Amino acid sequence: MENEEKIVERAQEGDQDALARLVNEYHDRIYHLGLSMLKQEQDAEDMLQETFLTLVEKVHQFKGNSSIYTWLYRIATNIALKKLKSKPRKYPHIPIDEPDFKKIHENETKEEMEFDFEKVNNYKFRKTLNQVLDELPPKYKTVFILRDLHNLSTRETAKILNLTESNTKVRLFRARNYLKEKLEDLKTEELMV
Amino acid sequence: MSKEKKMYEKVCEYLGCDINAEPCQELQHHLKECPQCEVYIDEIKNTVKLYQRADECEETPDSVSKKLFATLNLDQPDKEKTSD
Repeated sequence: MENEEKIVERAQEGDQDALARLVNEYHDRIYHLGLSMLKQEQDAEDMLQETFLTLVEKVHQFKGNSSIYTWLYRIATNIALKKLKSKPRKYPHIPIDEPDFKKIHENETKEEMEFDFEKVNNYKFRKTLNQVLDELPPKYKTVFILRDLHNLSTRETAKILNLTESNTKVRLFRARNYLKEKLEDLKTEELMV
Repeated sequence: MSKEKKMYEKVCEYLGCDINAEPCQELQHHLKECPQCEVYIDEIKNTVKLYQRADECEETPDSVSKKLFATLNLDQPDKEKTSD
């Protein structure tokens, strides 16, 4: 199999076959990123097209300081964040506090939350999960999506979002904690199990 | 720094990193003695797992891929060719 570096070099020289291979390799992930960040299929599709139009137009500017997919993720994330900004909405006041460890330690009778992983096959349940994720302000949601749903490393995520690695970790922890707390509330409402 | 505060920071640090990584020895030791923290960490891990499973269920429609390649004026490689 041809090394990706070579494919990128060919794409930079204008080779259409190489460009098509890069698009083919990464368009699924970028579309998914769009869906997770923007929720609407049409917005995700628009983001997908803008991202790869930018690739075709600017691939010759890619210097190879990062992998091509980190570069693509950076373009796509910036487009998505811009789109979110262009449709301002009010986020409910979400206290993104650190968990209260004193309370956790004192709560000896708390039963462990049960998780029914089969429920993800249910469209309505996935929609509920997405709604909860969508409540997170973009700066937390984006880190969660890149790190936990797209398996990018802390370093890659930090680079894409222009953050320090420690800031990326703090945001990820807060996002995870918020989602857990919300799912716990849903469980109380008997939506979870 | 108090022992409790130090452990608090270790849990936060651990939960901001790779969710599948092994906790450091100090944290492992704490978790053996502290079922509440263990439950808390498990719940966070399961929350992440739930979202990951839900995300796997979403597929890119063929029509979206086709439209993308048409917009870019590129030929979509077939699967056999790209898996060479």
